[in-house]
Amino acid sequence: MNPLRVAAVVRRIVAQFRRDPRSLALLFGAPIAIIALLGWVLSSQQTNTVRVAVVNETTGQVGQSLVVKLQSSLEGQPSIVVDRSVADDSTARQMLKDKKLDLVVILPPDFSLQNRKIELLTLGLNPTAEASTLPVVQQALIRAVADSAVGATLPTIERATIYGSPNATTLDSLAPVVVGFFVYFFVFILTGISFLRERLGGTLERLLATPVTRAEIVLGYSLGFGIFATLQVTLVLAFVLARLEIPALGPVPAFAIGLGVRTAGSPLIAYVLVLVLALGAVSLGIFLSTFARSELQILEFIPLVIVPQACSAASSGRSTSCLRCSSRSPDCCRSPTPSTVCAR
Amino acid sequence: MLVVPAPAKPAPAVEAVALRKNFGEIRAVDGIDMSLPPGRIYGLLGPNGSGKTTLIRLLAGLASPTSGRARVLGVDMPSRQNLARIGYMTQSDGIYPELSVWENLSFFAALYGLTNKAELRTVLELVELDKRTGTPAIQLSGGMRRRLSMACALAHHPQVLFLDEPTVGVDPALRIQFWDHFHRLAADGATLLVSSHVMDEADRCDELLFIRDGLVLAQGAPKELRKRAGTDNLETAFLSFASTSAADATAASPEGAAR
Repeated sequence: MNPLRVAAVVRRIVAQFRRDPRSLALLFGAPIAIIALLGWVLSSQQTNTVRVAVVNETTGQVGQSLVVKLQSSLEGQPSIVVDRSVADDSTARQMLKDKKLDLVVILPPDFSLQNRKIELLTLGLNPTAEASTLPVVQQALIRAVADSAVGATLPTIERATIYGSPNATTLDSLAPVVVGFFVYFFVFILTGISFLRERLGGTLERLLATPVTRAEIVLGYSLGFGIFATLQVTLVLAFVLARLEIPALGPVPAFAIGLGVRTAGSPLIAYVLVLVLALGAVSLGIFLSTFARSELQILEFIPLVIVPQACSAASSGRSTSCLRCSSRSPDCCRSPTPSTVCAR
Repeated sequence: MLVVPAPAKPAPAVEAVALRKNFGEIRAVDGIDMSLPPGRIYGLLGPNGSGKTTLIRLLAGLASPTSGRARVLGVDMPSRQNLARIGYMTQSDGIYPELSVWENLSFFAALYGLTNKAELRTVLELVELDKRTGTPAIQLSGGMRRRLSMACALAHHPQVLFLDEPTVGVDPALRIQFWDHFHRLAADGATLLVSSHVMDEADRCDELLFIRDGLVLAQGAPKELRKRAGTDNLETAFLSFASTSAADATAASPEGAAR
């Protein structure tokens, strides 16, 4: 071990870094930018208040008294805000979709002392968060039922969602993010490196010496990679959405191919969306490869390009509406942040 | 005594008028004037960083001049239409390593609108790769890759051919064949501009241009340049032109002089 030689290596590395402002920026700037983004996204998802409405579909006295008890019982909970203005089922559903409500308790028309069924309706887009609000509601329900005419036994609670299904798993809600992210990621890397190699290998120079135009090259690239992007999107979506059960055959046990993720909307729209995303990644790959001088530098673009992309996708569900008056305009609120209750 | 084309001679195939190209502070091409009549082989000779490649890139329309004009076959470069009449063999091989010999050649030929298979086969025979058509370029030897690169530049029968160090890594026997073919092309009326630093190659050119610091030091037939410098050796001739022309004459010798 010769300290002089070690020092020489250290000096060389420092010198290389000083010549490479991009890597330096990445080293110091990128983590801050990404952590800031993540912090913004994650903190915005922390809704510690659950906005609840109780809808009474029954006509009898039993239901009416239960609703009143339920509402006051729910209001006793610290993290729950009850919206008493919601009267019917369709308004409640619309408000759930508009993200003005988090949860709707519905007493169905056939609710009676004999048929004790209560429906809990959520949006169905964030299974984990929605499931976490259930115990609070259940507690309120127990207390409401305890001093009501319904009797000592607890009504059965049926969960329902507007999108997806009530027993959706985390995978169901994460699948779109994963599909979009990885299709985008791999197409970007592939196109970026491929175009970069064109430049480094001297073939781009040679291409430009032929009558081919730049637009023809970019269009050719988009179409060429578009073929493979389309195949990739088809395969990935098929794997995620479909589920193929293979029966046991001799010594081979039964198994399933595909995840069988449930979709709320049209799979066709999802297909078109992911395809557009992939073609966007082709263009971005070509564009950013012009700023890179080596394959390593393409990889350096990953945190700078891909992570913000993932964050912006995750934050698209961010709600900025006022909790009490349900106004989308933050002006209605005296409080500094729009996601708190307004003074109205 | 510079070679001045007589008025009766045909219009120059390659022409530069006060051609300059700056990269920031660096003056890669610093006001070159030249006029090269067609049907001949011109050799660009100069040390590393003298501006040979930049000059070729300007003439081949791959870069826009800072000032002055670069004209090929009477058309100002860069001109995309004109590129169909120009062949350019880059210093790096500029071929796709994953693609086979045939796929590489037919791709570049297609960009020029060439689809005639028989014609492409003739080109491959010329560079002696006709038995390797299915081989991926990455599996070829360095010399074979050079030959493929050459084939890709020749396939569309360009009237003007720019060859940036075409014979690097090519064995002597094949190098002779290359040059024989260059002379055949010139005899058919093509104009070739070849950059090189191998001196015995320089002797095979019809005319030489000594380049240094982005300027043409001297231009003329190899024999004539030797006579003017009063030496038998082109290297010595280059150095003598360099020392007489440059005030801050730091001795620069063409690369390969030591080889």
